[in-house]
Amino acid sequence: MEKREESASGFRKETVNKILHLHFKDDKTRVSSDALLLMAEMLNVFVREAAARSARQAQAEDLDRVDIEHVEKVLPQLVCKV
Amino acid sequence: MEPLGEQERERLLHTQRLKAAVHYTVGCLCQEVAEDKGIQFSKQTIAAISEITFRQCENFAKDLEMFARHGKRTVINSEDVKLLARRSNSLYSSTDLTTAGASAMS
Repeated sequence: MEKREESASGFRKETVNKILHLHFKDDKTRVSSDALLLMAEMLNVFVREAAARSARQAQAEDLDRVDIEHVEKVLPQLVCKV
Repeated sequence: MEPLGEQERERLLHTQRLKAAVHYTVGCLCQEVAEDKGIQFSKQTIAAISEITFRQCENFAKDLEMFARHGKRTVINSEDVKLLARRSNSLYSSTDLTTAGASAMS
């Protein structure tokens, strides 16, 4: 179950678990293994989408480098839809 | 200004370590997108996406905890995560694909 199929990069379950636990209000709250897997994948998608949207914005402006203002422009759509 | 208490200092260090882990992963993922699209990401861009992702996790965590509590559970499960992803097509599909992949593997 530990074999990674497609990409070597992406969020690890332990990291995701620790991040979530930072913000839980109840000490007893836990996350199932399946849920952690899904969350890790969801975060991968979130980051890739942020990167892709920002890149598309930069390309639409005929630039070959993505800068922070491109992220700012796509931020509302990105965060609203989540 | 009072110096940070021991517990607060620990928490701050812990948070910084996690932010660094997120930053590293975000960097890797952005590198893949960069190669895919033939474009470069500035360091500030990666830092920004990293910060945004970290902040989103706070919302995710609180929502997940609430969903589980709503279901009278202390353990957050896959259904809670799917509920979280419902608004975005790409996020929701990612939860479906992974579940399908996981059951195909078992």
